Amino acid sequence: MSLKSERRGIHVDQSELLCKKGCGYYGNPAWQGFCSKCWREEYHKARQKQIQDDWELAERLQREEEEAYASSQSTQGAQSLTFSKFEEKKTNEKTRKVTTVKKFFSASSRTGAKKAEIHEAKAPSPSINRQVSIETDRASKEFIEFLKTYQKSGQDIYKQCKMFLEAMHHKRELSIEEQSECAQDFYQNVAEKLQTRWKVSPEKVEKAMDQIEKYIMTRLYKYVFCPETTDDEKKDLVVQKRIRALHWVTPQMLCVPVNEEIPEVSDMVVKAITDIIEMDSKRVPRDKLACITQCSKHIFNAIKITKNEPASADDFLPTLIYIVLKGNPPRLQSNIQYITRFCNPSRLMTGEDGYYFTNLCCAVAFIEKLDAQSLNLSQEDFDRYMSGQTSPKKQESENWSSDVCLGVKQMYKNLDLLSQLNERQERIVSEAKKLEKDLIDWTDGITKEVQDIVEKYPLEIKPKNQPLAAIDSENVENDKLPPPLQPQVYAG
Amino acid sequence: MAAAGSGAGGGGRSFSFKVVLLGEGCVGKTSLVLRYCENKFNDKHITTLQASFLTKKLNIGGKRVNLAIWDTAGQERFHALGPIYYRDSNGAILVYDITDEDSFQKVKNWVKELRKMLGNEICLCIVGNKIDLEKERHVSIQEAETYAESVGAKHYHTSAKQNKGIEELFLDLCKRMIETAQVDERARGNGSSQSGTTRRGVQIIDDEPQAQGSGGCCSSG
Repeated sequence: MSLKSERRGIHVDQSELLCKKGCGYYGNPAWQGFCSKCWREEYHKARQKQIQDDWELAERLQREEEEAYASSQSTQGAQSLTFSKFEEKKTNEKTRKVTTVKKFFSASSRTGAKKAEIHEAKAPSPSINRQVSIETDRASKEFIEFLKTYQKSGQDIYKQCKMFLEAMHHKRELSIEEQSECAQDFYQNVAEKLQTRWKVSPEKVEKAMDQIEKYIMTRLYKYVFCPETTDDEKKDLVVQKRIRALHWVTPQMLCVPVNEEIPEVSDMVVKAITDIIEMDSKRVPRDKLACITQCSKHIFNAIKITKNEPASADDFLPTLIYIVLKGNPPRLQSNIQYITRFCNPSRLMTGEDGYYFTNLCCAVAFIEKLDAQSLNLSQEDFDRYMSGQTSPKKQESENWSSDVCLGVKQMYKNLDLLSQLNERQERIVSEAKKLEKDLIDWTDGITKEVQDIVEKYPLEIKPKNQPLAAIDSENVENDKLPPPLQPQVYAG
Repeated sequence: MAAAGSGAGGGGRSFSFKVVLLGEGCVGKTSLVLRYCENKFNDKHITTLQASFLTKKLNIGGKRVNLAIWDTAGQERFHALGPIYYRDSNGAILVYDITDEDSFQKVKNWVKELRKMLGNEICLCIVGNKIDLEKERHVSIQEAETYAESVGAKHYHTSAKQNKGIEELFLDLCKRMIETAQVDERARGNGSSQSGTTRRGVQIIDDEPQAQGSGGCCSSG
């Protein structure tokens, strides 16, 4: 994100390193060039303003609704009354989470609606919502708009959500499972409260829950999706690698009841793959679920066109597995975990979306455990395909249908060519090796022959003194030579 | 997910139940639900896009019931995925083909597994389908019914083709599930806290099937 790229910049200039406010301390790009102290001050101002805006909106909401209903009773008194009642129930219900939940709710019961502003402003850390992106901003605006249709309960919902986000901010160092538990508790409490206190109809509760989920999860997403404290990312990579290794699996092996030769069907398959890949780009669990559902619908269409009957689970699951294998959707495990942890449970458990999500979980589990038996292959074939020695697609290359994309055909031709080249290359290498060996053998042979000969006829050097002496003795004219010169000594 | 939420506005209770459909391929699971939810059998003009997830709303003695019927893939290769499907379900319909001895054996395996994983919380229905093919029967009525009784399940005879016994099967199952849910609620004392332990979502379970279970994160608080 932008924050990271900013950090990467190298600042050499001394003035750039200092706080922008000129207080003399060093600034930090993460604090937009301010030092920690000035940043906190600056941020505090901006935050105050945002809170102010939010509350103005909420206030306006309240006014509008009060005008509309002209209700005379004091809402605040009633509110805190139910709050404490609510809290009591909570305490009876569970003791294990008492500390966190109580902290969260007791704060709300003690401080009235007006005081909550101060309570929020007192929040010490400047890091909450530090970078309110456009998307988050839009989500809040939509949320506030939506809540207007819920009158009093809408205001209450807004307040609770704000407080929940604040509470979540302080729980950031908790394990992801505990954070998930908090979110699930929150969903449950809000839904219950809407039904029992505000007497909202079940349909409207469901709608409101969707909006609440959207609002809070847009804000929490970057802290709770694939958090560093878990091994989600590692699992993602494992699945991704696994799917890559299984690139050779054909629809026939999985008994996929989809005939991709029909143009409409292959169209549906492509759409389904697009949907499942798109899941990763969504922030809200419900939107992610919607992608899975959309993908499933396309799969059903593909099956329906092929078989001309409604798809059963026997048809659906293999096709979904095939789609996942073909699409290799990014961060599959992270997405599944995220949905499991932070989706509104009522949607996940009984709804249609939940069914498709469960099937996706099954598909991933199947892919992880997939073996020769589950594809009706012999262990040898499976091993050979896994190691990449052969590809089952090769045998089919002759009977391609005409509608297979030209690029793919060309690719397979090229692959063929490459494998031929590879063969020739290997032949050349082996012959070169042979030649090398021959050469070595040949020199070795020669050396050995030479050695043999040398051994057989060793070189004998005979002393030559005797004949030389004879020559000397035969020198008869020796004595005719003048006498050798004698050294003469001169005095001086 | 036990009975979800008490009724809104006081007008009678409403229940949401999840029912899984188990059984080998070709025993007629799909035909069974299609007949029940759409009243169709091998219809050429069928408009339903899919028969893997179907819902039905019922009203039983003033109690509203939302039934979500989850079909499961029956192929042997997907057997291991069963627990992901039947987690948190209130009822299971185990279908076999009366002309196929093997499919009855499969049902027995499923029963064992379900009882092991979910205990007695789940209402089991064993269904002998295709009674229109009585002449080719290979699973004796006596044997099937005795077995069902021995494992605390109810046995039904159905024919999706002739639309026999299906309505009764689902109605009976719903009644039993309502009963179980109410007993469950009473056991927990207060109805409002019912979803406390069962509301967690579906999770992929790797090696330790219990570690991530419903109470997985209750140990620390």
